[in-house]
Amino acid sequence: MELLLTLRKMDQLERAVSVADGIIVGKFFSSGYHFTMHEFNQIYSYCKAHHCKFYIAMDNFVSENEKMLMYEYFDYIDSLDVDGIYFHDLGIYDAAKSYNLVSKLIYDGKTVLCNSLDTAFWLDKGIDSVVLSRELTLPEIRTIVHNNPQKTDLQIFGHLRMSQSKRKFLTNYFREIGKEYDFLNKETLTLIEENRNDRMPILEEESGTSIYTDYIFEMFSEITSLSPYLKRGIIDTLFIENEKQIFEVCRDYKRITSQNREFIKNSLYHNYPDNYSSGYLYQKTNITKE
Amino acid sequence: MNKIELLAPAKDLMKAKIAIMYGADAVYVGGRFYSLRSRASNFSLEDLKEISTFAKKYGAKVYVTVNIIFHDDDYYGIREYLRYLDSIGIDAVIISSLALIPVVKREAPHMECHISTQLSSLNSSAVRTLKEFGADRVVLGREASMDQIEQIAKKVSVPLEVFIHGGMCSNYSGRCTLSNRMTLRDANRGGCAHSCRWKYHLFDGDKPISNPNCLLSMSSKDLRASAYIERMIRCHIASLKIEGRMKSEYYIAQVVKTYRNMIDEIYEKGTLSPQRLAYYDGELSKAENRPSNDGFLSGDCDNSRHLYGVNGAGVTHDYIAYVRDYDGKRGIATIEVKNVFSSGDVVEAFGPDLDNKRFKVEYMFDEEWQSVLLANKPTQILRLRIPFAVKEGDMIRKVSRI
Repeated sequence: MELLLTLRKMDQLERAVSVADGIIVGKFFSSGYHFTMHEFNQIYSYCKAHHCKFYIAMDNFVSENEKMLMYEYFDYIDSLDVDGIYFHDLGIYDAAKSYNLVSKLIYDGKTVLCNSLDTAFWLDKGIDSVVLSRELTLPEIRTIVHNNPQKTDLQIFGHLRMSQSKRKFLTNYFREIGKEYDFLNKETLTLIEENRNDRMPILEEESGTSIYTDYIFEMFSEITSLSPYLKRGIIDTLFIENEKQIFEVCRDYKRITSQNREFIKNSLYHNYPDNYSSGYLYQKTNITKE
Repeated sequence: MNKIELLAPAKDLMKAKIAIMYGADAVYVGGRFYSLRSRASNFSLEDLKEISTFAKKYGAKVYVTVNIIFHDDDYYGIREYLRYLDSIGIDAVIISSLALIPVVKREAPHMECHISTQLSSLNSSAVRTLKEFGADRVVLGREASMDQIEQIAKKVSVPLEVFIHGGMCSNYSGRCTLSNRMTLRDANRGGCAHSCRWKYHLFDGDKPISNPNCLLSMSSKDLRASAYIERMIRCHIASLKIEGRMKSEYYIAQVVKTYRNMIDEIYEKGTLSPQRLAYYDGELSKAENRPSNDGFLSGDCDNSRHLYGVNGAGVTHDYIAYVRDYDGKRGIATIEVKNVFSSGDVVEAFGPDLDNKRFKVEYMFDEEWQSVLLANKPTQILRLRIPFAVKEGDMIRKVSRI
């Protein structure tokens, strides 16, 4: 299993490249990446010079009036030697076809890729791999990855994106209450539902607003049984302020074995106390209203 | 040129029949499984057969939603289900699992595959991808503006379906798991708790920055696209879709009838005057239980399109009776009471072939022909003197709000 880090800050580039097998970076049609084009190019060059794989995130939707930008972006991507493109919008598949880049595509359907049939469907289209939904239980993940060895990626650490909207919730809210506030691209804002205590990061960008889990998902106890079947494990660094924590987690995932996994997990919990969770791995979410 | 389709939702058999009687060209309904509205009554296999037969008599179509985000276990029995739907003459399934396209083509060759708005198709390239995958129709995401819809329609050959009325997800459809996290109800498998309509404190670090008297909400006003119907017809959208599989028969009847008349008038006259549009907007307001606007159609979805300080929809009590029968000789209708009304109230009857007609409630009787002055028992059967002909399926509402 390759270990990938999402790179969110320029000053983390060198360390990220030194610990991860590859990094994921976004520029257009992605969330949580705020690099200039110059920085984006620098990151690419640094990765290539240090034999670190370079993946592009395109995990947002594309509207019709952004199509020209999408094709211009593909012009640029085509000129690079990227190792993969994480995509979300089905229009990107169409664009990638015209650049013969389908084999570089990795479908990240976020919430919608939850089963073996859809996984097989996408792989049959000639793409590289798929990212499984974050809402799957461990047995569900096992079934899919065993059926598709080395063809699936999984987010293995970080806050999980819970919602994605084109609406600008913060812009609209501050307009409604008549308050000026600097919130664009700001990663320190959180929501707490009036009858609950969970603090959920909220991020508004030009493309809209996303809300993330209050907890940091981790799967140290489970990864060793899955890693032989996974193509890539993704550590998402968004909202994680402690740089040391990020890189230690990355090192831990690299050295983890079935013998040391509980020790590693306990060390993380002890050294970097945070709100960790196994997410939905042991928690089905199919309760329905009666 | 095919006339644009008016597509209505239905929670159960009765509402599906009402939608068709009031002018829907097609209805979309959910079976007891595989459908996103788990709280809707939903159709048994027998109900599906009955509505298919009923629809054919009216020249209408029936689409069945198979639009949950499938987990492996959810596929159990799907092939048999699809074959059954095909055998009873269902016209299409609305799906979000792309892997179902080849399954439908193989197991149910007479049915079309319509791609659900769950996939948020928002550009012509995405629609082309879906066509390549075998889609027979694509439901566009509700985030597209009217200009973008026109652009997409110009560039693709696969029929497009567009939402024109009803509730809106505040997030991209299918990309929201707030409900999963906060209530363990899977929003994408029929359990959405509408957490987006709740109220939230906003913090920057540890500092509260929301207004305690007006907390943040993501709640969206409902969609009303009446002002865009003419443009949608002109750019050859295949189908205009009304949202609301959880809504009442009154809502279905009023909204369907209004859009039916509006569409027919546009085809007949070539356009719709501002006065006529205002009239139709007034008609749509009668069924409204939440403020509405044009959503993303005008481009920007600003704060005027959100609801702050309101958690959910209100319930209107304007719908007072459903007509079951009419005795023309005596001028007496048999009605089923829906909400409270009394002798002396001025009310309005409407129906598939009856435009709003007012009358005063004067003579009411129960089934033993005892005089009734106050109708306050929902589902009670009463006899009501109505000074003009009505028929089964017509409805009566109060005019106080109108």
